[in-house]
Amino acid sequence: MKYQIRFTLNGEEQELYVPANYTMLRVLRDELNFMGTKEGCGAGECGACTVIADGRPVNACIVLAPEMDGMSIETVEGLAKDGRLTPLQEAFVSHAALQCGFCTPGFLMSATALLRENPHPAREEIIRAISGNLCRCTGYVRIIEAIEDAARDNGQ
Amino acid sequence: MKNFLYHKPTTLSEALSLRARYGQSAVLLAGGSDVVIQLREHLIAPEAVIDIKGIAELTGVVWDEHNLWIGAKTTMRELAEHPEVLRAYPFLADAASRVGSKQLRNRATCVGNIVNASPLCDTGTPLYALDAVVVTNAREIPICEFITFVRRTSLAADEIVTGIRVPHQNCKGEFTKISRRSEVDLSTVCATVLQAGDSYRLSFGAVAPTPLRLRETEALLNGKPLTAARIEQAAISARAEVKPISDIRASLEYRLDMVELITRRSLTNLMNGGSEA
Ligand code: FES
Ligand code: FES
Repeated sequence: MKYQIRFTLNGEEQELYVPANYTMLRVLRDELNFMGTKEGCGAGECGACTVIADGRPVNACIVLAPEMDGMSIETVEGLAKDGRLTPLQEAFVSHAALQCGFCTPGFLMSATALLRENPHPAREEIIRAISGNLCRCTGYVRIIEAIEDAARDNGQ
Repeated sequence: MKNFLYHKPTTLSEALSLRARYGQSAVLLAGGSDVVIQLREHLIAPEAVIDIKGIAELTGVVWDEHNLWIGAKTTMRELAEHPEVLRAYPFLADAASRVGSKQLRNRATCVGNIVNASPLCDTGTPLYALDAVVVTNAREIPICEFITFVRRTSLAADEIVTGIRVPHQNCKGEFTKISRRSEVDLSTVCATVLQAGDSYRLSFGAVAPTPLRLRETEALLNGKPLTAARIEQAAISARAEVKPISDIRASLEYRLDMVELITRRSLTNLMNGGSEA
């Protein structure tokens, strides 16, 4: 049995038939070929699969495919517009806030959601907002600094 | 994960007839932070998943004249950020804000946390201390009778929890979570210690098969002013009243020490007028 789902992905309407036992993560990666969203733990712990759904960061690995019906979903592929990175992405590059890059899409989505809600977060708020994202290689200092930098440029 | 049928009823009566149709072979889905993981790990293999998020009658937080109502659709984030909850029961908001990560709190629900009935559920101890009442389509059950054992509740296969009711009360106190990492971690021990007038309420999680109210320790404290000596007595009593086990997160001895420490610390804060509600 497949379920019809309609949702928007990075602003584009999508319509798909999915089995109930797929997750949003699997739909994005395997059905739609949006490979930016990563699978780390698959259990809501590492944040590698973070997307913004209806304006809020969520773990795509613990959302069932049929639950996507009606959602508005943003993935890392939707950040850059017309080939231009967002200031947050630029800050990740200039701070070298990534090494292997596996965790980066998740961090970008968590931080993007934070900066929309709170354009000038304190360092503590940044740390709290990304504490559901794990990075095994870069260490968090550069990631935090990149987000601080992007926040500093916000609205100035 | 094994396949299943997915239903998203839009009314409570539709959901109840699905419950009646499937009985034990259906599972209710709210935020999915427990259910999806249990599906994935093959801990459950239901014939059907009933998503309750489309049910119009189910709500989020409602603060009315007599009660705080935590509707079945209330996410941890909503509970943690609700202004009335923050004002009247900051320890409950604190507990909700310590569950999982920001991403998880946008999905996970408080009612789901209780229905899942883990002994270490973070919102369990504040709700036990507040004498919260679990409300289903059919009846009201005091929370400490609702959770019966590790991952067992008294919910019948044809019932649905519509929300949790907390009668308004004046109290102050604090929630404590001891875990290896401050976010995205399970509690090694969690607790809520409250004072309401001259009575005290102590509840602990991860120290027995269900969250526990420490009635004997409470009786020792009730009606008397807090003194350093009485706090010492209470700390020893609390230690004797819990029944922890050793597991991957901590040993039995460590948990007993933490129960003693939390009791001493939280009561001392109350004595010194801290943790104001
Ligand atoms: S893959 Fe989803 S949180 Fe780790
Ligand atoms: S850059 Fe490799 S995991 Fe973060």
